[in-house]
Amino acid sequence: MTRLRCADLGRVRYGPALDLQRRLHALRQQGEVEDIVLFLEHEPVITIGRRGDAGHILLTPDELARAGVEVFPVERGGDVTYHGPGQIVLYPILDLRGWGRDVHRYVHDLEEVMIRIARAFGIEAERRPGFPGVWHERGKLGAVGIHVRNWVTMHGLAFNVDPRPDGFRWIVPCGIPGARAVSLADLLGEPVPMEEAWEAARQAVEDVLGAGLEPVGREEVEAWASASRTG
Amino acid sequence: MNVVVPELGEVGEVKLVRWLVAPGQEVEAGEALAEVEADKAVFVVEAPAAGVLERILVGEGEPTSPGETIALLKTS
Repeated sequence: MTRLRCADLGRVRYGPALDLQRRLHALRQQGEVEDIVLFLEHEPVITIGRRGDAGHILLTPDELARAGVEVFPVERGGDVTYHGPGQIVLYPILDLRGWGRDVHRYVHDLEEVMIRIARAFGIEAERRPGFPGVWHERGKLGAVGIHVRNWVTMHGLAFNVDPRPDGFRWIVPCGIPGARAVSLADLLGEPVPMEEAWEAARQAVEDVLGAGLEPVGREEVEAWASASRTG
Repeated sequence: MNVVVPELGEVGEVKLVRWLVAPGQEVEAGEALAEVEADKAVFVVEAPAAGVLERILVGEGEPTSPGETIALLKTS
């Protein structure tokens, strides 16, 4: 079985995680590091994708500051997204030449990972043609947005396990007026322990990509990335 | 020299989201010139060689597709 490195970064602020991703993404293109999937949760943040419209953020800068929410324009596809605690975030830094050389299939695979996480909790989620991500009839359960250069990916997916509900009221999700975000906890009507969701996510990644995950320590990943600073 | 949208696999509709350089600007080989988006994936189109970006053929917000020439590059 193909082995795939993974690192559990815990809960991290968006800025340092983005910086780490960008350095790993650059190093992966140079063949300096291996493929890796970063598993993490973010502190509350709103990101604006390339097709994004800052008008889809419903709070004023003052309100955002008071709520402790940062805002980042980023190089992924898609519009406005909220990330925060209680949400599973996966950032695979993969050279797709080793994974089928097909960006559409890769996006499909990320959606499949989220469908399987939901299924592990007895929830059926689905794709909606023209609206990437995964959906339940009550709303959007997970988002996908990626960036590719020289076949190497960054950014990835975000899946709502048990986030605080107010975060999604701060934005027009994906820029689609009336689109609602929903979480596993909403659908199950009870809190969902994150550790169970992480376990389901690891299993889903292994099954969908057909790879065995091999954990790497956070310090080791940061050491890989800091090597680029000297280069 | 033609600046071409790379092959991406079986993607659907592709749109040019933004130009990172302007006509007349000097670029290095491999420099990011533009970004195109499909299926919520943003791809970087790189300069095939060093030169000066001569003319943009596909503007921001316009549809494009893998293999299409989106700009002309005058190589140095």
